[in-house]
Amino acid sequence: MARASVAEQRAAWILLSPFVLAAVVFFLYPLVESARLAMTQSFGANATRPVGMSNFSSVLTDPIFWIATQNTVILTAASLLVVLPMSLGLALLLNRPNLKCRALYRLVIFMPQMVGLVFAGFIATVFFAKDTGFVNQLLTQIPGVNTLLHNLFGFDVQFPWLDRHVLLTVFIINLWLWVGFNMVYFLAALQSVDKSLVEAATIDGAGPFQRFKNVTLPAIKSVTAFVFLLAFIGSMQLFELPYIMLNGDPPQNRGVTIVWYLYQQGFEIDDLGMASAVGWILGIVLIGAAFVQFASARHESREARL
Amino acid sequence: MPNSDENTGQHPIPNGLAERLPPWMTGFSLGSWVIFIIGAVSALILFIPRDHIDADMSFWIFSREHEPMYAPIVEDWNATHDTTIKMSMLGMAGLEQRMFNGFRGGLPTADIIEAEYRHAGRAFAGPIDAIGFLDLTDRIKAEGLDESIISTSFTPWTTRGHIFGLPHDVHPVLLAYRADIIEQYGIDVSTIETWDDFAEVFRPIMADNNGDGKPDHYPLAFWPWQDDKVELLLYQGGTGLFDANGQPNINTPENARVLATMVSWCVGPDRIAYDVRDFEDNGNKLKREGLTAAYFTPDWMCGVWKNQFPDMAGKLQIIPLPAFEPGGRRASVWGGTMTGIPKTCENPDEAWEFVKHIYLSPDLAEQLWHAGDIVSPVKAMWDNPMYDEPDEYFRGQRKGRLYIDHIPQVPPRYPSPYNLAARRSVRDAALKLLEYAQDNDVFDKESLIPRAEKVLDEAQRHIKRLVDRNVFLKEEN
Repeated sequence: MARASVAEQRAAWILLSPFVLAAVVFFLYPLVESARLAMTQSFGANATRPVGMSNFSSVLTDPIFWIATQNTVILTAASLLVVLPMSLGLALLLNRPNLKCRALYRLVIFMPQMVGLVFAGFIATVFFAKDTGFVNQLLTQIPGVNTLLHNLFGFDVQFPWLDRHVLLTVFIINLWLWVGFNMVYFLAALQSVDKSLVEAATIDGAGPFQRFKNVTLPAIKSVTAFVFLLAFIGSMQLFELPYIMLNGDPPQNRGVTIVWYLYQQGFEIDDLGMASAVGWILGIVLIGAAFVQFASARHESREARL
Repeated sequence: MPNSDENTGQHPIPNGLAERLPPWMTGFSLGSWVIFIIGAVSALILFIPRDHIDADMSFWIFSREHEPMYAPIVEDWNATHDTTIKMSMLGMAGLEQRMFNGFRGGLPTADIIEAEYRHAGRAFAGPIDAIGFLDLTDRIKAEGLDESIISTSFTPWTTRGHIFGLPHDVHPVLLAYRADIIEQYGIDVSTIETWDDFAEVFRPIMADNNGDGKPDHYPLAFWPWQDDKVELLLYQGGTGLFDANGQPNINTPENARVLATMVSWCVGPDRIAYDVRDFEDNGNKLKREGLTAAYFTPDWMCGVWKNQFPDMAGKLQIIPLPAFEPGGRRASVWGGTMTGIPKTCENPDEAWEFVKHIYLSPDLAEQLWHAGDIVSPVKAMWDNPMYDEPDEYFRGQRKGRLYIDHIPQVPPRYPSPYNLAARRSVRDAALKLLEYAQDNDVFDKESLIPRAEKVLDEAQRHIKRLVDRNVFLKEEN
């Protein structure tokens, strides 16, 4: 291959320079600065003290960080193990041939995404309010439920969705918000599955489950892996939804996620060093997960080539 | 309507228009030009100066209620002084954000800032010489203001012996009760001295006269969810959250007893409290319906009652808070405001003159009382006959004098950068104790005390960790 001339090299650098500059200003500098912050304790621009790795050890020994981690892991697991399979199930239902009003169903299931995260959080506070919330009002209208709630929680105590059952409530709203979004990806992937393969499997006597397991699922594997990674990163970064649902004030740290913990440290306790340390820990976990996904995808494609 | 370009799907410029334009302009689609024009206009708008500072000094406030009270005083100042002031109402979140961003980044803020109790402590997290507000200690002492203003009003703005703000108020908390409901039951509130008395005297209103299987009323609007109420009760009957040195003071026997008492109000056969929250639609509805009969009421809340519930005029009266023990404290404190001068202020002497003009002015004391029911912290003002005037909203009660008589019982509060975290921690401790009581059927306060000590220990450890981590506080202690 011929070497590029000096003029060509210069042109390449000139053309690349805006992007290199943007990467340095908006990515590299903040990265280096956050690493420096993570090893200091500061009080605004006026006072800074180096503290070594103590911010990291403080984060890792803080019980609230582990509560936040536990909450995040539960919500992530629920997202991956419940929301994604439900999305795939809905996509399979909507992908059935001869289904009437497919576009309408798709719109209805996808619609929560149009509401937006912040508004969904506000709706949740109204829906799940203890005394006057729509859900509790509805529950207590059903014969027998009121008595059951009274027996379980004592007289006149309504089901405390946002007080005691925060993760369940966040999960319900998360499910409502994301099941349609993920479904659209799965549906697009299902519609691109080679129909002749499915027909061949049918002619060979494969049942619906076998066709799904041996033909459809392998065909949509790359999209599934992508949606899986997207859902994982999204769940690990969950913040706005529980923050708005709980009005920024989680009872007994129920519903606090890792990013919310980061926000508390940085903007409520004003400890930017701790917040940066949390950011680095979370970043390392996410990079690790992406690396594992990338490595497994490469391993599979290598096996497929062999 | 022009047809879409077959290859690109873009809408070309209409033929008639394209012929009149230079060739280079027709190289882009109509949509591209619309986007370009919107971008150019937006960029131009950015350069239009919007916030003209047409005064010599700026004054930020957070309260919509304060704005009309201060406006005539600022106007009077501007008419009589060479240095003029521009007051801006930023709201709580806006002011907090802009103030802390300015302090953190060493950037100019306003010349004078009014700050609220919950947030001011955050400004004191660093070394004394790096705090964004000017140290007013010498000025206050030189002018004898530390003597003429009640000392408990200074403590929230004092850290490590340095005062950073002039107080706006005292905010004693008493108890407002639904006199119209109480009268129906022939209850005499004058015999109430302690919270136990209160529970006993008010209990008849819990009768189920309407036959729905639930009490018709609950004596007290309270739930451990409400961190401001938990805090004020800990200050009333316990040791509060922090000591004068800024160290957490949470796991004391006094606080454990208060916590156990407040939880005993919410569970079991002797329950007297219901979760009616302030400033929420649901809470306001339940207040109107009279589900709860008594409410923690600082002086400023009297103004809130009048503004939010004009239809409840003549239904409420005020009594001192019942004490936790006979002879105990009959008042507490909720909220608080100060005005400080940021270090970036170019003319601090003139700013100080303005702060005194607005906060020490008899005009403001009258405005505060008439427009907001807020008692001035300046002792000399307390002889003003306006505080003895009957208030028709509160059944003609001379409530001003009642609040002033209880000011000596207002507990001191010491600031900490971790005040918000501490409030939430004790609130969470109270919720844990409540859930323990519900789950284990433990209802009386004596039996709840050991558990209260345990949950307060956890809260203390959490806050102590935060305080101990702060290298700046450690350096100066």
